[in-house]
Amino acid sequence: MPMALLEADVKIPERKKHVYIKQPGEDTKQYLPASNITTIPGSLSERGCSYCGAKLVIGGVLKDTIQIIHGPVGCSYNTWHTKRYPSDADNFQIKYAWSTDMKESNVVFGGEARLKKSMLEAFAAFPDKRRMMVYTTCATALIGDDIKAVAKEVQDELGDVDIFCVECPGFAGVSQSKGHHVFNIDWVNQKVGTVEPDITSDFTINIIGDYNIQGDAYVLQRYMDEIGVQVIAHFTGNGTYDACRSMHRAKLSITNCARSAGYIANELQKQYGIPRMDVDTWGFDYVKESLRKIGAFFNIEDRVEALIEREVAVHGPRLDGFKAGLAGKKVAIWTGGPRLWHWTKALEDDLGMEVVAMASKFGHQEDFEKVIARGRVGTVYIDDGNELEFFEVIDMVKPDVIFTGPRVGELVKKVHIPYINGHAYHNGPYMGFEGAVNMARDMSNAIHSNLFKLAKRDISKGGF
Amino acid sequence: MATLVKDKPRTGCINPIFNCQPCGAQFAAIGIRDTIALVHGGQGCCTFVRLMFAQHFKENFDIASSSLHEDAAVFGGTKRVIDGVKNLVLRYPDLKLIPIITTCSTETIGDDIEACIVELDAWLKENHPSRGIRVIPIHTPSYKGSQAMGYNAAMEQIVRALAKRGEPSKKVNVFTGWVNPGDVTELKHLFSEMGIPANILMDTETFASGIMPDKSSFAYGDTTVSDLANTANAFASVAPCAYEGGLAAKYLESEFRVPSMVGVTPIGIENTDKFLRQLSDLTGRRIPRSLVEERARAIDSIVDLGHMFLAGKRVAIYGDPDLVIGLADYCIELGMEPVLLLMGDDLKGYKKDTRIAELGKKAVGFEMEVILNADLWELERRLRDGMKLDLILGHSKGRFIAIDYQVPMVRVGFPVFDRAGMWKNPIFGYHGAEWLAEAIANEFFAHMEFKKDREWILNVW
Repeated sequence: MPMALLEADVKIPERKKHVYIKQPGEDTKQYLPASNITTIPGSLSERGCSYCGAKLVIGGVLKDTIQIIHGPVGCSYNTWHTKRYPSDADNFQIKYAWSTDMKESNVVFGGEARLKKSMLEAFAAFPDKRRMMVYTTCATALIGDDIKAVAKEVQDELGDVDIFCVECPGFAGVSQSKGHHVFNIDWVNQKVGTVEPDITSDFTINIIGDYNIQGDAYVLQRYMDEIGVQVIAHFTGNGTYDACRSMHRAKLSITNCARSAGYIANELQKQYGIPRMDVDTWGFDYVKESLRKIGAFFNIEDRVEALIEREVAVHGPRLDGFKAGLAGKKVAIWTGGPRLWHWTKALEDDLGMEVVAMASKFGHQEDFEKVIARGRVGTVYIDDGNELEFFEVIDMVKPDVIFTGPRVGELVKKVHIPYINGHAYHNGPYMGFEGAVNMARDMSNAIHSNLFKLAKRDISKGGF
Repeated sequence: MATLVKDKPRTGCINPIFNCQPCGAQFAAIGIRDTIALVHGGQGCCTFVRLMFAQHFKENFDIASSSLHEDAAVFGGTKRVIDGVKNLVLRYPDLKLIPIITTCSTETIGDDIEACIVELDAWLKENHPSRGIRVIPIHTPSYKGSQAMGYNAAMEQIVRALAKRGEPSKKVNVFTGWVNPGDVTELKHLFSEMGIPANILMDTETFASGIMPDKSSFAYGDTTVSDLANTANAFASVAPCAYEGGLAAKYLESEFRVPSMVGVTPIGIENTDKFLRQLSDLTGRRIPRSLVEERARAIDSIVDLGHMFLAGKRVAIYGDPDLVIGLADYCIELGMEPVLLLMGDDLKGYKKDTRIAELGKKAVGFEMEVILNADLWELERRLRDGMKLDLILGHSKGRFIAIDYQVPMVRVGFPVFDRAGMWKNPIFGYHGAEWLAEAIANEFFAHMEFKKDREWILNVW
């Protein structure tokens, strides 16, 4: 039976449709885990809320924008200091968190006046910051505060500021994925096309769905500089608010994280005729492939080949150095969604590893189509996995290393399996040629850690 | 000189000191054995709090969500509470307690948690009569107070739901407050030296778990449902943190006539002396020689640092209210000048807190500002405008202020995610006083070396 009811799920049998074990000869027309549907309450799901999908994942990355959260203080507090996305603007985006800190009286009488004061105070505290995003949360959406009206007032009053409103409370949708969607669509409809960029090259692109985790965007920017392609906007890694308003002027959109930002790439294609090109910016061979696609699009193949030749000469031997220690090792990838299909084949083709289990928190059907097409037979594919399932899957597939978040990492540590931060990396960047080497090095250090060997020893039993 | 107590001069919040109430309730719940709380709200309300606990302790704690989605926000979410609790009961065979923690959304839509519990109790009685599972309500609307008040409210509601009159016990309830496992260890030590049996609420010492050869160890809280039931029969209650556990102690006093001792926070030598004297008065037990010696060793260590390195240093302190007050007191004891205290929520009680007035009297030779309903911008903007500070005492959320303005900082309280293993150290007791003074001195020393500022002094001291 390719759809599997795990032992842990006997009491919640509806989980069966979310767990798939790929069999020889099957394809996704026959079997596909159900995804992007209601979370089962009390299942110890790993999902976050839609608000965080908009603020923490996309908007909060921008290096020049005040992010004010209209709601009780926790929504702001919780999405502060939980990401590793630096910037070249003194890390403004990770140092500050703004909240309207709403109170009971605001729930009763409305919080618009409080929002307005908080917005004005924030602009006053940071006089060199003139861009702002305002987010609704569960409480303020339920009481129906009109944040757009308030934003317009503030914009009219101050004159030199621009404000974007994100109306995506935590309960909207079933996971953070809904927040990505709302942000993308509202941004393209309200803000794209309102700033004209300086064009300095015949070749212009948007880099979509990269969030500069541990400097990923710097790597991509360097490659583009080297082949003479002008990046109009990073959506949103190390990006600016106004650059993202000028995305309509690019000739091409390359999309890495198609789950969180594929929507805007589609809209740019639909509204402005900018082609969407999906790329893999993780994985040594994938990066070559992706750069060649960009080169072919702009007819600058020779520049791209020169870049690849040089990078491969530098980083190829470094990657080779890790191959012997990683070949045949088993990996599990338990992350958000797209990294499953970005990483599985790359780890297998580049390094000869076996990806034996994958779980996605918020992936959709198209993510599972991609990952099952790229993934191995016998591998376990799970949508919205939960803790008891994870333990069972560990026993089934016995991974040597797991890509997951730091909390689950603390859990799998107890059963002698090292984790690598699959969201924010251990020591990145992980994108590009150098990133593939970093990733291999981190896996090698984890898998061959002496400490886990020592942890297995029971000194009370002697024999050592 | 004068103490100025004033409110933050702004409405909004820039860099909050605290999380919201449900976070505090979740911290209380993870201290109870065989317990998984169900947070009734959006998924983020629990997912991010779990991440924060994991960041602080480097351990995982199980907390469930009712995963409120749009339909539930419109039509009510009680079915998701019922289903969530049932799923927990069915999949976790050892569960004994399921607190249902409310949030801003579910308090706003007005879901009737008590009615859910009546329905669930009937279901449990019919289907799982031998399991003895309790389901209890914890109301913590996020738009009131802060994580500290949420913890206080949760402790009170947990005790209210579980305390049960029985045989009188010789034990003293110890409502530790939101402190680190290192402080729990220290409280246990003080009670043990005094010869007083303690009922520790919540016992978080077992948050430290190992990687066992047989993979059997996981972090868990060690207070049991029966420990909580027995709070009604205690000889007395002690709540060293008035704002975190004080409500529970007061409830037991009014409902079960358990006398309470609230708000003597054993931070520093003098406050630990007071704490022990009150314990002695309460129980008739004499303070033993072992504690005289322990205290002497602490003072001996601190004297090596006090007037040479610590005296006259200007300090800003923020975090949990009892911690801030206790630390300010201790700073003055060390000859330091706590010039800025940030109280991170709008609790009315601060204005009447006699401990804050007492601090003012002790603040001789410097002006002490106490900001109520404060955020960390109150600290940063003062530094930006030229305030001179020698030390910051607070949790990791202020780390970039310390980094950008190059102010030495010792991490205390919750959360601390940018230093390793800090939760294992005590702040409480003579051990805590000793550790803290040394931690501050070592921070100064590292800073002197990094800045090449009289680093040669440390050749001989």
